[in-house]
Parts: sequence; C-alpha cells; structure tokens
Amino acid sequence: MSAILNIKVKILSRKEVAPNIYLIKLKAPEVAQEALPGQFIHIKCSKDNYPLLRRPLSIHRIDKEKGEIHILFQVVGEGTKLLSQRVIGDDLDIMGPTGNGFNIYPESRKIIIIGGGIGVAPLLALCEESKRQGKEVRVLIGAQKKELVIGEENFRKLGAKVDVATNDGSYKYKGLVTDLLERIIKEGWLADQVFACGPKLKLKKVVEISLDAHIDCQISLEERMACGIGACLGCVCKIKTKNKKENKVKYEFKRVCVDGPIFEGSEVVWDD
Amino acid sequence: MINKTCLKVEIAGIKLKNPVMTASGTFGYGQEYAPFIDLNRLGAMILKGITLKPKMGNPPPRIIETPSGMLNAIGLQNVGVEVLVKEKLPYLKKFNTPVIINISGDTIEEYVELAQKLGEVSKEMGIAGLEVNISCPNVKKGGMVWGTDAKATYKIVSSIRKTTSLPLVVKLTPNVTDIKTIAQAAEEAGADALSLINTLVGMVVDIDSRKPKLANISGGLSGPAVKPVALWLVWQVFQTVNIPVIGIGGIIKIEDALEFIIAGAQAIEIGTANFLNPKVTIEIIEGIQKYLIEKNIKDINELVGSMKI
Repeated sequence: MSAILNIKVKILSRKEVAPNIYLIKLKAPEVAQEALPGQFIHIKCSKDNYPLLRRPLSIHRIDKEKGEIHILFQVVGEGTKLLSQRVIGDDLDIMGPTGNGFNIYPESRKIIIIGGGIGVAPLLALCEESKRQGKEVRVLIGAQKKELVIGEENFRKLGAKVDVATNDGSYKYKGLVTDLLERIIKEGWLADQVFACGPKLKLKKVVEISLDAHIDCQISLEERMACGIGACLGCVCKIKTKNKKENKVKYEFKRVCVDGPIFEGSEVVWDD
Repeated sequence: MINKTCLKVEIAGIKLKNPVMTASGTFGYGQEYAPFIDLNRLGAMILKGITLKPKMGNPPPRIIETPSGMLNAIGLQNVGVEVLVKEKLPYLKKFNTPVIINISGDTIEEYVELAQKLGEVSKEMGIAGLEVNISCPNVKKGGMVWGTDAKATYKIVSSIRKTTSLPLVVKLTPNVTDIKTIAQAAEEAGADALSLINTLVGMVVDIDSRKPKLANISGGLSGPAVKPVALWLVWQVFQTVNIPVIGIGGIIKIEDALEFIIAGAQAIEIGTANFLNPKVTIEIIEGIQKYLIEKNIKDINELVGSMKI
C-alpha cells in the first residue's frame, strides 16, 4: 500500500448521470498512478470548515494514462450535496488513495461482481482490472428502479456479461440482485471469486450465498468515518478471526478506512 | 516591529517548542500523521488513551456528525500498555517532540499500575509525562466517574502522584456542576497541569428507526460547537488554580487557539480538526507566530491569560 496523500486536485468534469447520482472526474496523476480498485479518497466537500468531516468516496475509475480518477456518488446528505455543487475547475482537497483494495487472485479464472445501488461505484475499476488480467467477468447490478441502474453499458464495454435486477421490475429481472447470483450459481457458472458492494443486508446475503457455494467472497464495507487514516478508530466493523493454534474464534473491531474497506465475507460479523 | 518571537512554553516541567499539542484520541499513536506533517514541529504529542490491557472498544456506529461538531463513542479501544511500549513508542523516539501518554483504567489500582509501568520505562522510551484521563464519557467503569466528583478526583490523582515522578496532566470533563472544585481537588492532589475540556455528553436520534444513531446511545461532543463552553471553563479554571492550564475544545483555526491562550491556556490541544485537515497543527503553529509578530509580542507567555475585563 502506498502512502496516503493530502493534495488539491482539479475538477475536470461533473455530470448528474442518474437522479441524484453524480460522476466527477479529477485530475490526480499521483493518485491515479498508485490507486487500486476498491480504494477510496477522503474528500473535503466544501471550501470552508462545514461540514466538519470529510466524506469517503470510492474510486470509480482509475485512468493511469490520463492521470485521472473518477468518483461516482449519490447525494445522501449535506456533504455529498455540497460536493455535487462544486464546479469544473475547482480545486478539491482530497486524501488518498486509502484502504486495501480488492484482492484478485492470480489463479482465479471466473469472477462475479455484484453492485447494489450506488454500490457499483468501486466496481467499474475492479471490472477493468479483472478484464486486464484476462478474467472472465459477470456483473450483476441491482437497483430500486430503472433510472437508478448505473454503469450497465460501461461494464459491458469492458467485456463483462451484465445482468440487471430492479426491485420494482421496471427494467430487466424483477427482484433482488442476490436472486441473480443464486440463479447463475445454480446454472453452473462456477466463479472462483465473488466481489460485492452495496447495502449491508444485500452484502450479508451475497456472503451467505457465496459461502454456501464454496466461493471466496470479498465485500466492500462502509461506515461513518472521521480521520480516514486509521487514527481515530471511528469507522470500525466487527471481524472474527480464527486462531489456528488454539482453534479459538477471536473478535475484534477493525478499521474500515485502513484495514478495509475490503474484507473477506467470511470474517465479517453481522450484528443486528 | 519584531521579526523573532519566542513560542516556547513550559507545562508541568515539560519544555515545549510551541504551545500546540495533539489531543488524545484524535492523533492515533502519532505515526498515522507522519505522512502529512513533520512531527518534530509539534509542541507535544498526546497519544490515544491507553489502558493496562488491550481494550476492544464500543460496537459501531461509533461516530456521527452534528452541527459544527461530532459525537464519538469509541470506548477507549487501544492496544494496551505492553504493545504501546513495544511497538508504538519506538517509532516516536526519533522525533525530538515530547510524548505524553494519556492513561485510563477501570479502578484506581489500574491507573496506578499503568503509571508505574510507564514510569519504569519513561527514560528509555522517551515518555515526557502522563495525561490522566478522568473524563472519558464512553466507558461504563472508570472514566468520567473520577472526574465528576472532587473527592474521587483527589483520591485517584493523589494515588497516581505517589507512584510516579513523571509530570502529571489531569484531563477534566465539562460534564460537572462546578469545574472549579474538581480543578482544585486535582491541584491539591499533586497535578502539575490541567487539560480541559474532554467531550460533552450528547445523543442523536434516528427518527425513522427511532433508535439512537450511536450504538452506545450517548457519545462525546467535540468540534467547533463546544468551543465557547471550553473557553469559559478554561477561563474559570485559570482563575482558580496556580498550575498551568491546557485548553482543548473545538480549535480548528488560528484565532481559536489564540482565544484559548488569551483566556488563560498556557498550551492548547488540537483534536477533531485533525480529521478535517491533517496539517492543521502546523498551520496553527505558524499562525500563532505570525500573530505575535504582527502584534509585536516577543514571548507567547505574555499572551497567556492576558484577557482584559
């Protein structure tokens, strides 16, 4: 993992790609050069000290050639709203690239990537890297309704086979994206790895299905975050680790910002 | 016009290059901030609160942003004193910035044992002093229990005082009826300095689920929202005791730091602001220097407690 930078970068473009969902492109060669799929940047959303905390947002695409990173985010509160109002040419104060990133195993041949809602944000970079490594990739996108299905074409352009589920049935399969996962496993498309990002309940289900089918599963977690560099211990999640010597299960709180945000599905403890 | 000023202060016998310290819990074990600032430039570093044994901390969600502030309920998650000494302190030895260890415990005996252990290795590991946390609002036992009662404060501080000759800073809670009596008790018990304020207890409710937004229900409020409260308490304590006061609470810009110093703080601790701007400590040190030059003040100590009323 490379060092986390704190730099000011230019906003190259800003576009509302779906209702309340924005794509921002940043000129950040230093970050693009080092960034891994699954990592995030910690963004100071406004020019002054409000809101008080930065917002952690996944890196959507890493364009090393152009020295750009793309950020895809949904407006969910004050911080993201202010960020969505920043204009082209503005300097954005960012920290990153942060976190561990997805771990694509060299021996994996087939990969399933699952995104629920805005959870697709870190997955385009992952899909791109997986294809670059010659993996066969299937992407499953879940959304509330048709307008909120994001990135379908972009995944397809990378050469992945894409299936979509909408809760209200307004586009493609009606139901949950996890139904699609169950279906393609049942059909015998045996992946070596599953990667997912999205709402907690959906991730929990993805982990259950994957582990039942004995497929290695990595998920990207989200938690309210303050420092974003591992100092404040605000953004933890509960992780179980097995001490092989004593055959004892141990629980600990790990930091989403620097120990994650990617965790093995099997080690995450889902309290309540 | 002068072009040189003295930023040096002395707290509890610890000589600081400047009055800017880092507040416990916001600066990790120091190393986390090394990519962003030169740790050598800080007045002092106060590390994440440590206990005798490692502590798991509270379940998440642990933090929530509030208007001009944030609530936290970390619950003193830490690696324990053994790992601190073996794995965290060696890194800090290469810097010539005093390291102050913030200590916590469930019982007096634990505080005493911790102070003793740290005292034994203080020379070797470069520990300049201890900050006694009797003000953490997020743990069931110990913590704030000691800091909300003058007798309990006296008892715990005097017990630690007997065990160690290390400089003792006692960190006070604002969640009390009269902070002056607590401050006096700490002074009488042998504290070398007082730091204040720790966080104010608060809560946020989710109106959809009707659940508290923090798993711990309550948390400690910090950030600019608490600054006026902190300033008022620093001013009161400054008038009450004869030992140095360290001001803490919502310092995010140069002016905030100066307000605390004018109100009586010999030094200040920067906490929550580190999260927004990892370089804020250095910016404030430079800002204080600039202010002194502009105002033709040769020595920062002239500014301490210089509030005109």
